[in-house]
Parts: sequence; C-alpha cells; structure tokens
Amino acid sequence: MAKYGALDDIFVALADPTRRAVVRRLGEGSASVGELAQPFEITLPSFMKHVRTLESSGLIRTRKTGRVRMCTLNQDRLAVVDDWLTEQRRAWEQRTDRLEQFVTHQEDQ
Amino acid sequence: MTSIDPTLDLTLQRVIRAPRSAIWRAWTDPAHLQQWWVPAPTIARIDRFDVTPGGAFVTSMSDDGDAFMPHTDSIFLVIDPERRLVFTNAVNSTWRPAAPAPVPMTAEIALTDHPEGTDYRVVVRHGNPADRDRHEQLGFFDGWGSVTAALAELVESEARA
Repeated sequence: MAKYGALDDIFVALADPTRRAVVRRLGEGSASVGELAQPFEITLPSFMKHVRTLESSGLIRTRKTGRVRMCTLNQDRLAVVDDWLTEQRRAWEQRTDRLEQFVTHQEDQ
Repeated sequence: MTSIDPTLDLTLQRVIRAPRSAIWRAWTDPAHLQQWWVPAPTIARIDRFDVTPGGAFVTSMSDDGDAFMPHTDSIFLVIDPERRLVFTNAVNSTWRPAAPAPVPMTAEIALTDHPEGTDYRVVVRHGNPADRDRHEQLGFFDGWGSVTAALAELVESEARA
C-alpha cells in the first residue's frame, strides 16, 4: 500500500488550480520559479509553498543555478496518474469502501 | 479462467465486518446496490437487473436526479448465491460484443467466511493489449485535462467526506 501513499501525495498536489497550472506550463518545458510565478497574483513566498508541494510529491524537480531556481516536470511521475489501471484500481477501492460502509452501517442498526 | 495478469488485472482483498448474506444482498438487491454503487452526491439508477447468468446489469447515473447518463451496461456470467458473482461489460445487456472505455473488463466478486465477518475478494480482468494500446495512443497530454478534472473532483470529494 506504500504505492498509495505516494499516489495520495500526487492527488493532493494536483487538487489545487495554481499547482495544476504550473504543471501544465512545465509540460511545455522547464522554467524558473520567477517565470512560473508571473501569471499569479500571489506573493513569491506563497508561490514557493506550491512549488515545494509539487516537488515533495515528485511531480516536479527543482535545481538552483546561481540565483535562479529552475523547475522541470517529472514525466514518469505524472504517468503514474495517467495510468488507466491505477484509475480502475482506485475506482474499485472506493467502490469497496462504500460497500463496506453500507453493510457495516446496516449491522449497527 | 483463474489466471491473473498483473499488467492488465487488479485484485483487491479486504475483511468486511458483516456476514456474507448482507454483502450478497448489498450487491444483488437493487434498492441496496443503488445506495453505494456510485459516489454521493451522484445518484445511481438501476435500470435492468436480472441476477442470473446472462442476465442484464444496467445502471445509469445522475448529478441532479433528472438527467441520467449511462453508467454500466453489462451481463452477469456467474451467480453462486452468497459466494461468487461475476459480470462483464465486454458483452452488453443485449448480448452484443461491446468495447467500453477505457478497456472492457470482467469483475469477479468472491465471498468466504472469516472469523471477523467476510473475506471479500475482487478480481477485475481487463481487455487485451490491443485495447490498452489504443487507450495509450490517446496520448498523455490529450487526456490531461479530463484526468486532472476527475482527480480534482476525487480529492475534493474525499476532503468533503
């Protein structure tokens, strides 16, 4: 189930519109934190929080060269999310959660 | 028949603290199934439900209770009361071979007694590699928007729960 912990991190990282926009932008190629932050009307420290969330989920990698931090999309990591079998597994896990809740709740009554 | 291909199939095992009879009823009584088949607030409607080998298993779903979209169109293959239930969407409820997205599947649900309730096992066997390749050809970024939207919805619904 360790795989699922990792998957949860990716889902959490992608649940935010700013972070999704960053991932989409990085799909076109690497960019500096400054370039990435530009379209957003938030402070650099707040933007850095998003960058760190993306980095800790493994979706992006960052590298500091001089005073500039460059961000790169980790395609392999993102592929995990796009894997149809993973999606199916998740759907069945959730379906089983609901069934379990339904039948055990009945037992309580 | 019992072979499992880890690149195509998924297995799931869990101990559910309820008797086999309750789980069987949750699967085979439409009034019960309807309550857990799709995640709330989406509403499931059981359109055709004939719990016998070859019998129709057709459901639709709705966000507003008004407009319903097709959800499942499948048939039962095996019905062994309180023990095993198998259905597939590779053949639809009119017995026509079908190619549902992303790949056709056969789902097997097996129930056995466990000291704490029921040993619940699911095996889902998915379609052949040709189907899978077709799905992969859709390309990574083409599928990106829809996958992200679905993921966001998933995470947000989990946060609400």
